[in-house]
Amino acid sequence: MKTRLNNLDTDARQSRQTGRNINILSLVGVELRKTRRSGIQWILLAADIILWMPSILNAHLNFGMQAEGISPEHNFLIQGFMGMAWFMFPASMIVVTVLLTQTERSNHGILKMLALPVSTTRLCLAKFLVLLSLAGAQMLMSAGMYFVSAAIASHTRNYPFMLPPLFVLREAGLMYLAAVPMLAFFWLLSVCIQTPVFSVGMGLASIVPSVLIINTKLWLTYPMAYPFFVITAEYGKLATILETAQVELFPWIPVAIGITVVCLAASCLCFGRAERK
Amino acid sequence: MKTQSLSGSDRYPVHDSTSRRGGYGLKPGLEYKKIKRTGLLPAFVCCGLLAAAFPVADMAVRSERYLSLPDSPVSILLHADWQMMSMLNVLLLVVAACILYHTEVSDNALLKMCSLPLKESSLFFSKILLLIPMLIFTLALEAAALGFCCWHWLSFSPEVLTELAYSMGFSLLLLLPAALLSLLLACACKNMWISLGIGVVCIFTATMLPADNFLLSLFPYAMPFQILAGMQKETITGFSTAAALESLGLCAAEIIFLKIRRWSA
Repeated sequence: MKTRLNNLDTDARQSRQTGRNINILSLVGVELRKTRRSGIQWILLAADIILWMPSILNAHLNFGMQAEGISPEHNFLIQGFMGMAWFMFPASMIVVTVLLTQTERSNHGILKMLALPVSTTRLCLAKFLVLLSLAGAQMLMSAGMYFVSAAIASHTRNYPFMLPPLFVLREAGLMYLAAVPMLAFFWLLSVCIQTPVFSVGMGLASIVPSVLIINTKLWLTYPMAYPFFVITAEYGKLATILETAQVELFPWIPVAIGITVVCLAASCLCFGRAERK
Repeated sequence: MKTQSLSGSDRYPVHDSTSRRGGYGLKPGLEYKKIKRTGLLPAFVCCGLLAAAFPVADMAVRSERYLSLPDSPVSILLHADWQMMSMLNVLLLVVAACILYHTEVSDNALLKMCSLPLKESSLFFSKILLLIPMLIFTLALEAAALGFCCWHWLSFSPEVLTELAYSMGFSLLLLLPAALLSLLLACACKNMWISLGIGVVCIFTATMLPADNFLLSLFPYAMPFQILAGMQKETITGFSTAAALESLGLCAAEIIFLKIRRWSA
């Protein structure tokens, strides 16, 4: 009898410990499964299709870029990515943060999650990793749509618009990496601000001035402008005549890492605080 | 006996014939009470102030760029900054529409509303009647900022005021279809991220549409980006009638949609 009780006790202790040390990857898997039936993937896909549609229709405009000294195929890619980095990518990431916070608030699912023996910090980080992976999925879908639209444009205009896949993936990857501080900031907004009007409204409103801010010195402190700045810098590199501000890694990388760490730490501290009260 | 029943109807005003008749009317006041704790009103104020800050900041930083232009002051300012300001207005509109229905859906309040002696469509129209004054307030803040810029940096005359009033009235008319469509989407989608996502994708589409194509710029989310100053008279009437027709069409679509949803439920 005693041994059985002891066994039960150690079982419970073990399971409690495993619960607390639950692998973050399996938590991410759980969170990803929650988003499966949300329909978010269709919205991200629709945004990507709409992004490349005008590029196919206006493919002839790429031939008139002699003033900037950029080749038509490079212009085709960069113009599309600029449209994405300016508004579509940040705005759809805000929609994803709404999804991540609201699905569990609607039927008090988050209360059940917080009642589990799982550390809230890990839960918060797992949700952030889901945000990162959905961002990556959108980036990949966008790159995929680029190949489709470049193939169509090459066919209709009789000009090879297709660029080597590695180059395209490199540009997409650069934009993705530059977007991480922005995503951390959006995550902070959605976790810490309980009223959805303000978390969504502030996020969306912060996207709008990024066009103006990349032309000033302030861009360094404004994570929403990073992806657009990186893509504009790439544009300047590819266009031989046009000069754009280039990325200087030294003050930027530490600032970006600092912003990301501060935002994530603050959101982990805030996570579930309102529900626990 | 008779007096008893009378006092009973006094105590339970729901059974009163006047309140039943009121159930079919519009109640923007009730909708206002619902949004009290959603923070929608401060959001409209903040958005108005932020949008108003654009022309002021722009003029403060680079006014010399605009001083030599030959157009009227209002036209100069609108062409310089209206894209950003209207973008903020439309984004706010989409968020507000999502929130207005999110409060109903989040705790199944909509089901309770449906069991009351209320028409579902009157809920929709009350919400749009609530949105319009808030939009007018935001536009008024923006107009005040534009007027200030005219007075401080450019020339100011009574004509400026009338031109501003016309421009803002035109903008309000062009914002209506977008407001109705956002509300319709918010009403149709149970989950806020779907309606918000569709709204964001639509706004993105509006920014990608070519500006010179009249038919494409009649897309509800693209119309608020139009500027009255310097527009041809035919284009103005075209846009105004299109906005009015789209609004009527969207109202009809909402009524039909609710009927179909009720039947199929």
